[in-house]
Amino acid sequence: MGKEKLLPIAALIILLTGASSTIYVYATQEVNIVENMDVEIITIWNKQYTIEYIFSIAEPRAFTDLNFSGIALDDLIIKIGIDCPECYTYTIIAEDGYQKTIKWENMQNGLLTEDKMTVFTDLPKAYRIKNIVEIEVV
Amino acid sequence: MNKMKILAGIIVFGSLWGFSECIIGSYLHEIDLPAGAIMAGIFAVGFMFISRSLYKQKGMQLGMALVAGTLRLFNPFGGCYICAAIAIMAEGALFELLLYRMTLDLKELKKPIMSASMGITTAYIVFVGGYIITQILTPVFSSAGFYIENLIAFLPQILSRGLLAAILGGSIVPIAILLRNIDIAKVRDITYYPTTAVVSALCWIAVIINTLLILGL
Repeated sequence: MGKEKLLPIAALIILLTGASSTIYVYATQEVNIVENMDVEIITIWNKQYTIEYIFSIAEPRAFTDLNFSGIALDDLIIKIGIDCPECYTYTIIAEDGYQKTIKWENMQNGLLTEDKMTVFTDLPKAYRIKNIVEIEVV
Repeated sequence: MNKMKILAGIIVFGSLWGFSECIIGSYLHEIDLPAGAIMAGIFAVGFMFISRSLYKQKGMQLGMALVAGTLRLFNPFGGCYICAAIAIMAEGALFELLLYRMTLDLKELKKPIMSASMGITTAYIVFVGGYIITQILTPVFSSAGFYIENLIAFLPQILSRGLLAAILGGSIVPIAILLRNIDIAKVRDITYYPTTAVVSALCWIAVIINTLLILGL
């Protein structure tokens, strides 16, 4: 098949792939938003916690030079009762499906803000995950 | 074409691309617009096709990406700047691969349907490929490490975000291709070198001043 035919077909396939992915993303996101509509909840280690509760149990932490404050992620993990926190890795999952897995040493340099965003001093900005819905302990 | 002329072209187009990423890209990111897709679909693909049309040289776009990525590292604001720098360099490499079998004067893209299709294909692959490479390399270079399941879970989002880049690329490439009749070799050295030097310098100075202003120095 020559370029004259191949290129428009490739473009069409690409547009269809992009469009179907967009439909899939919006369909699955809507389910997540409806499920979490009533209260601000984060699931940690398969248990659901309200933001209010999380902020009441964990130690505050601030990164003044970065202008962020919230609670210490490592303290949160300890307070919810995970034994041997350094034995696990932690997958932080956002509402839109974006997720990043981090180690305990990173958690020790991280905080969770009140608007459900993580900030780490030892990781790139790609790890500033917004609208967190879950922290998986793996 | 004279190698010095090509080198000056790499620097000036790479600087313009890097300047756009740092100033316009950071601004788009700040106002919550899909900066990555807009930058890839309009600026990255636009500058790479313009330079390919004008200079008709393979390999030049990879050089431009290295210059732009380096400039992006000078501006550590507006999202993940390491990711952005990696993405820009990956975009340049992907562009070279995609256009490897094309003729130097891009005569295959004379018809609007062909140039629009090329724009859609290139912008989508450059954006999605750059995004995936970034998602792999950023964790590898950080202390957290790379986990394939994170990439797989986010793949539908990446494929979806590429749609905007593809549509923008499909619109910008037919315009960029129009420049292929201009012969840059005919531009007199006395005009060409000072112009490229001044434009490149202005781009770098603007980015450095922007960085210093944000830092409050």
